[in-house]
Amino acid sequence: MTQLLLFNVTNGLIIGAFYVLMALGLSLILNLSNVINFAHGGFLVIGGYIAYAITPYIGFWGALVVAPPLTAIIGLIVERVLIRPLYGRDPLYSLLLTFGLAFMIEDGTRFIFGPQGKPVTVPPFLSQPLSNDFFFITGYRLFMVATVMIAVALLFLLLRYTRLGVRIRAGALDLETVAALGINVQMLRSLNFAVGIFLAGLSGVLAAGQLGLEPTMGTGLLMPSFIAIIVGGIGSLPGTLFGGLLIGVASGLTAVFYPAASEAVMYVLMAVVLLIRPRGLFGEEGMLT
Amino acid sequence: MSSQTFGPKFNRRTLVKGAAALGAFQVASPFLIQARGETPIRLGMVDPLTGVYAAPAGNEVMGAKLAVEHINAKGGILGRQAELLVEDSANDVGTGVQKCRKLIERDQVSFIIGDVNSGIAAAIAQVTNEKKILHIVSGGHTDSITGKDCKWNVFRVCNTTRMEANSVCGVLFKKYGKKWHFITPDYAFGHTLFDACTADLKKLGGTVTGNELTPLGTTDFSAYLIKARAANPDVMILLVQGSDMINCLKQIVQFGLNKQIHVAGTQQELESLAGLPPEARIGTWMFEWYWKQPGVPGVDKFIADIRKVNNGHVPTARHWFGYTSAMSFALVANQQKTLDAVKLAGALEDFELPDDVKLQPNKVYYRKGDHQLMTSAFVGEAQSTGKDDPEDLYKVDEIVPGDKTAPPVSDTGCSVKWPT
Repeated sequence: MTQLLLFNVTNGLIIGAFYVLMALGLSLILNLSNVINFAHGGFLVIGGYIAYAITPYIGFWGALVVAPPLTAIIGLIVERVLIRPLYGRDPLYSLLLTFGLAFMIEDGTRFIFGPQGKPVTVPPFLSQPLSNDFFFITGYRLFMVATVMIAVALLFLLLRYTRLGVRIRAGALDLETVAALGINVQMLRSLNFAVGIFLAGLSGVLAAGQLGLEPTMGTGLLMPSFIAIIVGGIGSLPGTLFGGLLIGVASGLTAVFYPAASEAVMYVLMAVVLLIRPRGLFGEEGMLT
Repeated sequence: MSSQTFGPKFNRRTLVKGAAALGAFQVASPFLIQARGETPIRLGMVDPLTGVYAAPAGNEVMGAKLAVEHINAKGGILGRQAELLVEDSANDVGTGVQKCRKLIERDQVSFIIGDVNSGIAAAIAQVTNEKKILHIVSGGHTDSITGKDCKWNVFRVCNTTRMEANSVCGVLFKKYGKKWHFITPDYAFGHTLFDACTADLKKLGGTVTGNELTPLGTTDFSAYLIKARAANPDVMILLVQGSDMINCLKQIVQFGLNKQIHVAGTQQELESLAGLPPEARIGTWMFEWYWKQPGVPGVDKFIADIRKVNNGHVPTARHWFGYTSAMSFALVANQQKTLDAVKLAGALEDFELPDDVKLQPNKVYYRKGDHQLMTSAFVGEAQSTGKDDPEDLYKVDEIVPGDKTAPPVSDTGCSVKWPT
């Protein structure tokens, strides 16, 4: 039993790491632009399908490098054309827009690539378990965790030490003052959106290696990411990181005792956090009110 | 505002044009009336074109469209052209029922086909029964449709879950061992399939080491697989379908579990195998129809016709379901020379499908008593790559006739009540 628990905690951390990558992108966009991006799962799908389309020419590693920036470019165009006109309005407008956009991306992918799932093959040396006992820790899953860790570290370094990062953080706190200091806020929002979508694209490539690639795959991965943000606390990126890992472990542990509730437990956790500490575990009071 | 708006001016030219048009109408009108009398006979189809079952549903629709083409090429139904109207149930019971009502009430369809989702199929069967419309369930497998909830107007093309279990359980027990662990989708289809498999396993003298109920749309199966391996079974039975099947098989192979436990299941589909990387195309399964059947009449033509409309891809069982459902209506209506639903339903009982529709070696017919199509199970193994064709991803070991896999009518719980 102890072994089973240990396995599931470790496994939960691995799954949680993936949620973190999605949730950080969502959180970035939400914090600076007040846009609840329901199309984030759609951008994950775009990233995955770009990887699928270019893997035969440049291999999995090439796709891992090329697909996320290409997704970010698509994100930039979407932000410029569709989302920018809605800044300054009630967040409900952008929520509805991205909600519709999610359907459009799903149907668009289905139209281009067909409804049937597409196989993405990962390098053989990655798709093997590391040991017979810890069979669920495969090379690919470790690689995913490592990629997430590197991406998260780079993101935190970007936010902490670069001019862009400082402006994004400042903008999340008080965009009006940032604008008054002469900073091009439109450009800032665009770049921030692109960074968030880059993370969604990266998640898409990683997910395509682990899961079946199909037009609806983003939907299932989006909700846990939202929950991670709410549990961790809106406005706090470390909170999002912690929230993602926490729901991953909670889900893994529940699967040991009552598998049918392994997804429901995330929502229960969210409800409990909201009841006891509405701002989330690391959240600042007054965000998004 | 121009004066024409209030009082259009007639001149000589207008008068002449009008007279000419009236004359032409007089000449043409008999043809128009005749054409109006030959309005097409409409077949309605409700299937989840969006959502997790979009791939199988899309293929069923493609099969039904091909059938309508073939029907019209052979003179239509009762000498009238056939027309297929397709509605998306969006994998939602309420939407499916609403679309079915729309097809019957507004579009005046004579027949209904659908749905892939068992729950929606059962719900729209209530509607077609109430409206006295002949209905063929193309791809919903749960037993009750031709079991305890059977209806005089409802027939089914795909297998029941009992038929699926009966076709493959004996082989698995004999070949791979008696301790089975199940990964089951947590809804009606999964539960009935699990019941059918465990009933067979019990009869054979085997044991169930556990059953992991997984929500529909599960992406990560690792927690369930950790539990399954801890139970140390001989065989891991996957009852999940669609994208769940793809995710589960992919993770089993990445974890190397297939090297320790034999992986198998009941229903496998070409749509799922095609969505898997080669190394994950493993296991023992049953297909409800498979395209590679050398020497079987009509199959080559069917493959060629589907390839033309399917970007060169071969037909799957779902294409055949849609095709057979639509063809059945045309065949029985042309045989009986009527559209009366009660008469056609009576005639469909024990109706045997011809070679160019059944597309398999065994006898295929709608069984009197429960209205279930006695269609074969193609039992065999998944193969990583096709030898002659990249889409030949399955090796058929045995084609078991429906008569052998279906329980007797008395065991189905079906008692058809005909309208007075």
